[in-house]
Amino acid sequence: MSDPGRGPGEQRRVSTWPAALGIIATIGGAVVFVVAFATGASNAWLGGSLAFALLGLGLALAFWGRDLAGDQVIAGPYPIPPEETEDQGAALAAQLDEHASVLTRRGFLFKGLVFSVGVFALSQVVLLGALGPWPGDRLSTTGWRRGRRLVDSDGEPVTRDALATGGFLVAFPEGNDLHEGADSQVVLLHFVNGEYTPPAGRETWSPENFVAYSRVCTHAGCPVAQYADVDQVLLCPCHQSAFDVLDGARPVAGPAGRALPQLPLAIDDEGVLYAQSDFTEPIGPGYWNIA
Amino acid sequence: MSGDHDLRRSLGRAFGVRRSPLRPAGRWLHTNLGGSRILREELRHIFPDSWAFFLGEIALYCFIILVLTGIFLALFFQASEAPVVYDGPYAPLAGAKISVAYDSVLLLSLDVPAGLLVRQIHHWSALVFVGALIIHMLRTFFTASYRRPRRLNWLLGAVLLILVGLNGLFGYSLPDDLLSGTGLRIAFSITESIPFVGSAMATLLFGGEFPSSGLIARIYPVHIFLLPAAIAGLLGAHLGLLWLQRHTQFPGPGRSDRTVVGTPLVPAYALRTLGYFLLVFGVCTAFAGFVQINPVWLYGPYRPWDATTAAQPDWYMGWLEGAVRMMPGWDIQIGGLHIPGMFWPAVVLPGLVLTPLFVLPWLDWIVTRDGSFHNLALHAGQHAARAALGAGFTTFLSVLLVAGGNDVFAFVWNVSQPRLLLVLQIATIVLPPVVAVLTYLLVRAWERRGASAAHRPRVAGPHEPDLPPAGSAYGATGD
Repeated sequence: MSDPGRGPGEQRRVSTWPAALGIIATIGGAVVFVVAFATGASNAWLGGSLAFALLGLGLALAFWGRDLAGDQVIAGPYPIPPEETEDQGAALAAQLDEHASVLTRRGFLFKGLVFSVGVFALSQVVLLGALGPWPGDRLSTTGWRRGRRLVDSDGEPVTRDALATGGFLVAFPEGNDLHEGADSQVVLLHFVNGEYTPPAGRETWSPENFVAYSRVCTHAGCPVAQYADVDQVLLCPCHQSAFDVLDGARPVAGPAGRALPQLPLAIDDEGVLYAQSDFTEPIGPGYWNIA
Repeated sequence: MSGDHDLRRSLGRAFGVRRSPLRPAGRWLHTNLGGSRILREELRHIFPDSWAFFLGEIALYCFIILVLTGIFLALFFQASEAPVVYDGPYAPLAGAKISVAYDSVLLLSLDVPAGLLVRQIHHWSALVFVGALIIHMLRTFFTASYRRPRRLNWLLGAVLLILVGLNGLFGYSLPDDLLSGTGLRIAFSITESIPFVGSAMATLLFGGEFPSSGLIARIYPVHIFLLPAAIAGLLGAHLGLLWLQRHTQFPGPGRSDRTVVGTPLVPAYALRTLGYFLLVFGVCTAFAGFVQINPVWLYGPYRPWDATTAAQPDWYMGWLEGAVRMMPGWDIQIGGLHIPGMFWPAVVLPGLVLTPLFVLPWLDWIVTRDGSFHNLALHAGQHAARAALGAGFTTFLSVLLVAGGNDVFAFVWNVSQPRLLLVLQIATIVLPPVVAVLTYLLVRAWERRGASAAHRPRVAGPHEPDLPPAGSAYGATGD
């Protein structure tokens, strides 16, 4: 530096300990890491030794740099001083105009070219259509249809004897795959006689007090996986919505705004539960639709 | 060859060594690249000093760590939902039917030597990355460093924040564990709630109704190539503008909108920043070594009928999670039109929160009518209205973040979850204006006492420099 009061040997008062620490830590950390790796040591040994080396070397360089920085403060101009902004801007504008006005002079052609590039870019939006299927009726239908039997998570048909009163189980359409299982899953509840009164219009959907609700939360689509049998509410573990199973699975707490759709059930001659039809409304969280 | 000679002298002098290996380096640079005059000037590129200017660097270094560790992870990860039977060493999952993707992450985590460490460094540095970006952005906001000529650079930063957060979400979604699948299910629902085009966007982007096969294979190139490339490009532009314009500085002796004061690139700044890189790497590695993160083997594979309590996204998505949890279910049916409840917290709210980030420099201009160039950063206490707005905004997002973990907090604090939810709903509305007004009053009081001047950061290091006159940046080397 140009400080005249300081001799060449005194230029930088750099302490030696950071560099010494850095050397020790880096080599030490490297050795321990290699040994830890070779002996199959735990993640803590691997991470600890690597971090030791990195932190030691990092501290050394940071301290060394800090020691130097105090001695090396310099000043210089900002490239664009505020008071010259106007002038420089005008100069750039003039220069651009001088050299590039050949393009804009033929105004019609230039604008036409810009326009056509825009049209071309927009036209490529159709490629989005290659990404996947359009919704069609995918979002409004599930795997349930008339006569499809309920099976449990092991694939066994659900009979009236499979579920005692007061109990609940998860059911799927018979022969479902992963995709159908996702949007067709229902929670099947078996109420004590007299406990449950079907809402108007659903009197025939709950034979022998068996009631099935869609298990896909109408809020964000998580499985409504918990049942608090004391309060008789279904709970969604994702965002804590609660649905009253005695009142058409109406939301009673949390952020959900729609009841869980109910699956119309029936029981066949062998005592196996089956669906009367698909759900009568879309399951899961809604989407903007114009009915 | 005088240019060559000068460059070698500059390099050698910068490191305080007369006969040093840097001299051949300087010669090599000149004889192979030419332009030693430009290089000599850039060796003395001035970086103003403040701890606050280090925040953006943390973000930059996290990106580098993410790329390095990500390359290692990519050697093992297989982006496929094809079913496979698990036969690895983790007994609880023995014989489970899982996806190839989940299987490869289990292999990486439990079999590959140091695989878990690298995966955990990757995850931890992603969390630090977004945190550093946000704090860096807050610093830029509170010091009004986004004004001309740095409006565009603020905009680049805002875009970077979105892309980085999005890529974090995609990374979280890849392992095909229970939490990643649940997150994707919610993302599908959010996409559905976009007005009119939502359901088409959802099935097109996800490749069908959720859970669609091939979704992980689709996310993977976006996570490891498309978004990282976009982030790298924008980061380059962000740093390029910074380099051309020089960094802002806090007011101090010799500092003005005309004159920048700081340490030169070589050696002081380069040493420090290289040291900081290693420190960031070291801290992320220490966390990765000692603090378990995202133990996907404990969560189990994603199956659409499984769910777990205390499921949280990564912290930077917590504000959105909180909004989704707190917003009452406004599923609205107007005639034949159905507006899903998710629309309000997951589309409207993010729009309201993120749009100001993009237009902030222009909003500032509309309010203050100040369109002139500024190279001096303000102190946070120099503008009460700005400080108040920033504090209120930050408080709002912080309450949402807490609400994102309301089930966990309710358990930890032993309060009922619905009651905590109600308290948080009230706090979301009441707390931000209260904090904003308090901040405003405090800053005004502080200004009146003139305390802001006394609390300004120290201007230079321990050795107060003899500042050379403005305009003689390179003369300072004694040339």
